[in-house]
Amino acid sequence: MDFPGYTNRRLVIALAACLVLALVQPTVAHHSFAAEFDANKPVTLKGAVTNLEWANPHIWLYLDVKNDDGSVQPWQCEGGPPNTLTRNGWTKDSLKIGDQVTIEGVLAKDGSKTCNARLVKLPDGRSVFAGSLGGDNPPPPKQPH
Amino acid sequence: MKNHLAATLLAVLAVTGVFVQPVAGQRDYKPPDGPTPRLPSGKVDFSGVWQKPYVPDMTKDGKDQKGYPELPFTPWGAAEWKAYDAAEGDYTGSCLPFGMTRSVNTPEPMQIMQSDKYFTFLFEQNSWFSVFPIDGRKHGNGIATWFGNSVGHWEGDTLVIDTINFNGKTRLDTIGHPHSEQLHLVQRFTRPDLGHISYEVIVDDPKTFTKPWTNTRTFTLRTDWEMMEYSCEENNKSLWEGRIKIPRYKR
Repeated sequence: MDFPGYTNRRLVIALAACLVLALVQPTVAHHSFAAEFDANKPVTLKGAVTNLEWANPHIWLYLDVKNDDGSVQPWQCEGGPPNTLTRNGWTKDSLKIGDQVTIEGVLAKDGSKTCNARLVKLPDGRSVFAGSLGGDNPPPPKQPH
Repeated sequence: MKNHLAATLLAVLAVTGVFVQPVAGQRDYKPPDGPTPRLPSGKVDFSGVWQKPYVPDMTKDGKDQKGYPELPFTPWGAAEWKAYDAAEGDYTGSCLPFGMTRSVNTPEPMQIMQSDKYFTFLFEQNSWFSVFPIDGRKHGNGIATWFGNSVGHWEGDTLVIDTINFNGKTRLDTIGHPHSEQLHLVQRFTRPDLGHISYEVIVDDPKTFTKPWTNTRTFTLRTDWEMMEYSCEENNKSLWEGRIKIPRYKR
C-alpha cells in the first residue's frame, strides 16, 4: 500500500524497523504501547515541523507532509516523556518550527494520521530526541542547540 | 483477544531495546563511594533519588534486574493473562494509578524519604507517592486501594515492606501480567553501600499464582538528579482522542 508523501513497503520496512527498534529503542515509556500503536505498521514521514508540545505525559510533534500532488497532510507523532528528554539534555528549543525532519515511527491503530516516533532526524543527519520513549533509551549526542 | 504478534514484538523489543542500550547516566555516571548511611538511631537510611531499572515485563532479565521466567499461574491467573488486551482498556494510559509494582517498575526515578517511624516512596511517574509506617506496627483495616496498605519492619539491616489490601484493578507490569485482590507483596531493601540499594520483590497471590515468585534488582543513587513534576493528565492526547480506552471495572 502506497501513499503519497510517505512510504509503507510493509515487509522490508517492517524488518528494518524491527531492527531499528531493537537496536535503538524500547517500545514503551509508561503505558501499553500495543493499546494504541501497531508495531506491524511502520511509517516514514518527511515534513516540516509545525508545532512541538513539550508537556507530560509525552511530547507531541506536529508536521506537515507534502503529498506528491502538492497538497499537505498534517501528521502528529508522540515522543517520549519530557522529564526523560530533559535529563538527556534536550529542550523544547532543540527543534524549531519549520525544521525539515524525517520521522521513523509506527502508526496508530485507529487509522488517524498519528504515529509513535522512534527516530526524528534532521536533514544533516543529526537525530533529535533520540531515545524519545523512555528513561532507558540510548542518550542523544550532546549537541549545541 | 490479545494481539499475539504485537505482544511478541513488544516483548522482544522491550527486552532488546531496554536492556541492550545503556542510558546516558548508566554509561557516564558513577554513584559516590562510601559506607552504608544510617539515621541517628542506627537504622539504615535509604534516603535519596534512585535510578531504577525499567521492568516492563517481570519475567525478563535485564541490566540490574533478575526476572522470573515461568510464572506459576493458577488456572484463574492463566485465564486472566490470556484474556488481557490493553487495547480494550489501558488503565495506565488513562492516568489511573499504576499501583505498587508498576510504579517501582517505571524508568522514572523515585525518591525515598525516611524517618524512624515512616518511609516514603516519592514516585516521579505521575507524581504519586506512598507513605507508611515502618515502626513494626501491624496492618490496619482500611478500604482496598491501588497501592495497597503497607507496613514495614526491620530484619537486621534489611527493611521489609509488607503490602496487602490491593483493589485488584492494577497489573503487575506494563505487558500486563495479572494479580488479584489477594496480592500480598513483600519488598526487601538493603543498602550495601552509599551508592546502591539491593531490592527484592516477592509476589504472593494465591488466587493468581500457585507459589510466590521474585524479582531482584539494583537501584543506583543519583546525586545529579532532582525529582520533576509529572502530570499524566496535562496533555494525554491519546486518551482524549480515543486511541486509548478507559477500562471498565466491576464495582
